[in-house]
Amino acid sequence: MFPIVQSLFKDEYYILKQNKYFTEKRRLLKMAFLIQGRIFGLICLLFIMAAVAYYIKQAQEGKVPKVRRIPGIDAIDEAIGRAVEMGRPVFCSHGIANLRDATSGPQTIAGLSVLNYVAKRSVNVGARIVVPVRQPEVWPIASDIVETEYKLAGRGEEFDPDSVQFLSSEQFGFSSNYMGLMMREKPGANIMVGAYWAESLQLAETGSRIGAMQITGTANTHQIPFFLVTSDYCLIGEEIYSAGAYLTNDATLIASLAGQDVGRIVAVVLSLLGAITFTMGSRILLDLFAM
Amino acid sequence: MGEALKRIEIPIALTIIATLLQVIPYYFDIPVLKDAAGTASNGVLLIVACATFVGVISILQVHGKRVQRRVEGWYFSVLVFVFVIIMVLTGLPLAEFGLGRNNSIFNWVFTNIQTPLGGTMYSILAFFITSAAVRAFKARNIEAAIVLVSGTLMVMGNAPIFTSPVPVMVDISLWIRNVPNMATMRGVMIGAALGAVALAVRTLMGIERGYLRGGGEE
Repeated sequence: MFPIVQSLFKDEYYILKQNKYFTEKRRLLKMAFLIQGRIFGLICLLFIMAAVAYYIKQAQEGKVPKVRRIPGIDAIDEAIGRAVEMGRPVFCSHGIANLRDATSGPQTIAGLSVLNYVAKRSVNVGARIVVPVRQPEVWPIASDIVETEYKLAGRGEEFDPDSVQFLSSEQFGFSSNYMGLMMREKPGANIMVGAYWAESLQLAETGSRIGAMQITGTANTHQIPFFLVTSDYCLIGEEIYSAGAYLTNDATLIASLAGQDVGRIVAVVLSLLGAITFTMGSRILLDLFAM
Repeated sequence: MGEALKRIEIPIALTIIATLLQVIPYYFDIPVLKDAAGTASNGVLLIVACATFVGVISILQVHGKRVQRRVEGWYFSVLVFVFVIIMVLTGLPLAEFGLGRNNSIFNWVFTNIQTPLGGTMYSILAFFITSAAVRAFKARNIEAAIVLVSGTLMVMGNAPIFTSPVPVMVDISLWIRNVPNMATMRGVMIGAALGAVALAVRTLMGIERGYLRGGGEE
């Protein structure tokens, strides 16, 4: 660390050597400055973090906030049970996005959380789970999640590595492969939570044609209508991010949802203030955002 | 040592460090962290490049077993094998041997097989939209009736056969798109963005563990 500091603040290092400590300290503060235009975003982020931390602390003291029922997530157990009764497999996809992208990456993480739960339930009730994967870097994670659930249930030898399949990194190669799998395997349940684009309708419509009970969810706004008309249950936007917390029923995770709600209230208040001030000809909020 | 490496704290700590490494340089101008974030991003690209081989291995394993067991449609798996081998060999970055992006076989397969197949898959969306629309356009309840009416108005507002005799249809469809539709979309987008931020905060604080094997249980 010291050589790095030395090279970064070369001039100050010599000053430091001359025991001019205060000059060095002032220079360090000046170097670590905030980037213009992102200060308000940082304040908002810190505010949401503080709210999440506050509610987590409250939950640790026994004050766990209530979460509204989300029918789509509640129906996962029903869908898996239905597949078992029909003797058909359960399909679970976490979307086609990678983990790196700023907007779609979190959706993949949310999808993997749902996969975790679906794998756990499927293993417990003896349903065969099939996980179609598009991104090669997500495949080992998905495979590890499913395999671990088998091992945790004490049935590690029953895990079939082919049940977590990398299909294709090409968008429509993946979708055609997924559709073909569905037509051949005829799943009793098709659960798709994550980031989807044009293939959303192809997959959900195929699932609907073969009579699978479908639970879908995405935060990609343009695909939500397609999921809504073709699925039995659809998680809309932020609901997919809450799914992990909702399914685990973990007090700290549920508390973090309350912190998220504080952020939503702030967003609504700022939206209203923005509409009012801008209509009145004031740019005060725009200037604040550009801070 | 082996058991220690399996501890769940390791991936959680790595996730927190990687997240901080991207978040801090976004808000603060600290050259050393910016460089470290750049190095980490390059490392991620390397991991992704290596993961591509993992994907290929998975494909070969799955289709190899299908051919071996002669399951229904096994000959399609043979085709997969043949084209994977052709594309890998002809696409090797060895320009001095005529391989790589400019290889004629590589380009022919890409232009005449992969591109048309992708285009075909995309274009059949029109038929899927039609069948989905038939299902959606049934006024089973109030919400479905609203979808039916607004969808019909949108279709009419985009079809000259309706807009020519009744020009106001254009304004009606534009209003539906720009006012109620836009407001709903923005509401969902703001909610989703906040949800993603909350997920990031949970990940940063190490409490979101659903993406880890076993849900992050010890």
